[in-house]
Amino acid sequence: MVDLTNPEIQALGRAVGLDIQEPELTEVAYSLNAILEMMDEIEVPGVNAVEPLPMILPTGKV
Amino acid sequence: MDRADIPHLSVTELAALIETKQVSPVEAVEAYLHRIEQLNPVVNAYVTVCAEEARRDARQAEEEIQQGRYRGPLHGVPVAIKDQIHTKGILTTDGSKLRADFVPEEDATVLANLKKAGAVLLGKLNMSEFALGDANSSASGAACNPWDLTRSPGTSSSGSGAATAAHLCATSLGEDTGGSIRGPAANCGLVGLRPTWGRVSRYGVDGACWSIDTIGPVARTVEDCAVTIGAIAGYDPQDPYTRQVPVPDYRLALTGDISGLKVGLVREFLDPDVSGVTAQTREAVIAAAEVLKSLGAQVKEVSLPLGAKSGVITRTITHTERVSLHPEWLLQRPQEYHHNTRVAFMAGNLIPAQVYYKANKLRALIRQEVLQVLNDVDVLIQPTSVGPAEVMNPQGRVGSKEQAKRALASGSFRGPYSLSGAPALSILCGFTSEGEGGLPLALQIAGRPFGEATVLRTAHAYEQATPWHERKSPI
Repeated sequence: MVDLTNPEIQALGRAVGLDIQEPELTEVAYSLNAILEMMDEIEVPGVNAVEPLPMILPTGKV
Repeated sequence: MDRADIPHLSVTELAALIETKQVSPVEAVEAYLHRIEQLNPVVNAYVTVCAEEARRDARQAEEEIQQGRYRGPLHGVPVAIKDQIHTKGILTTDGSKLRADFVPEEDATVLANLKKAGAVLLGKLNMSEFALGDANSSASGAACNPWDLTRSPGTSSSGSGAATAAHLCATSLGEDTGGSIRGPAANCGLVGLRPTWGRVSRYGVDGACWSIDTIGPVARTVEDCAVTIGAIAGYDPQDPYTRQVPVPDYRLALTGDISGLKVGLVREFLDPDVSGVTAQTREAVIAAAEVLKSLGAQVKEVSLPLGAKSGVITRTITHTERVSLHPEWLLQRPQEYHHNTRVAFMAGNLIPAQVYYKANKLRALIRQEVLQVLNDVDVLIQPTSVGPAEVMNPQGRVGSKEQAKRALASGSFRGPYSLSGAPALSILCGFTSEGEGGLPLALQIAGRPFGEATVLRTAHAYEQATPWHERKSPI
């Protein structure tokens, strides 16, 4: 997966109303690229079909 | 009893003396206030000390006990809570300049429950800003680890760990999203319980991440932990996600008998190549498994392959949800955040919706994975953290993508239980060698949803069979 560049991060920021400049910009890029890369690397067969209910716990054996 | 000795008692020891009128709640509060005055400048655990309110409440508790109206093991006992929990008429800063003058009009349910049990609030505890994972981000400055002042007390309930380990309160409350109770308990050599999601009301607690947040105890002993969770657990109509599951007397579970208990030792977190666990932590947890075996438990290896990747999944969900709580602050008042919080929130604000959605799907799979393993065993055990408390770096910045990835990966130790909603407890299980500072190491014990009693029973049996809890922090 190709890292987002600093100008791309700034463009994404503008899309949500954020003006991201240094000294934050490079650190935001490191942080976001780390999350995106690690999430991309998680490959689980059938994950797309999962219904993502947040926290509904089973009521059975406790 | 010498007043200076009172803060060194456990909750249950102090309660016994209060019930039999050998120590009064007023004496107990004065002993703690004196110690806070002496040591809080060193550990910076308290953001606000409620001395006058505590004295007033202690006098009331004393009158009630004198009149024969003893309420139970927290009556007249001095406690403290994380500054994320609302306190009527008392500043609640969330560790941020943005909340520097926020005074709630109502107590959070957990505090109301503590007061109902007769506990006396000493004050509000330091925390990382908006419960993110960096002790330095607190607007009040970092809390310090009483075992080594240069080390992190753990986050985000940094003050809950520091104050409890430094004997500046008898027991405390923290809030755990990705590990914010278990981390401070691990770093400070304490017992910290993240309860089942829905076991304890979140009403009146500033949210970090609505779908993962839990409130629970940070205590010095398992029994103190059991007393504290017993006081705050239960259904609350103000929090629609609390469940109407009866709250047992958790102290009755502390029998010491774990013969026949089925224990799953989670393989991935003991494999340095998978988790990065340090050698001393690994050895301490394997030794803990042997102790459980010697007490009659049946220990076998189990696997949580997806759980081992839970750090980044947790962070993707928590950062996205956190930013959504107050998006206007990031847009209009960004400079009022600590630099590190600002960076984390900006990154969180840019996570694509489909990545957040994928994280939620993976959460459902991790929940399935954890609950499936817990069909075969009663509890799971593993390290709480990769290693002991790290040296704090006040100038700490995200220096590279690889550094950011390591931080995300380290969250995987506590992620499986944050994401599955199952209860998980951290308990001291040894120390690093003297050459490496003699720092606390920690074992994590997780159980089935609403199975806190089994988790506490296991922890108590382990605690009583080992000498670790007898060692006190240098402060």
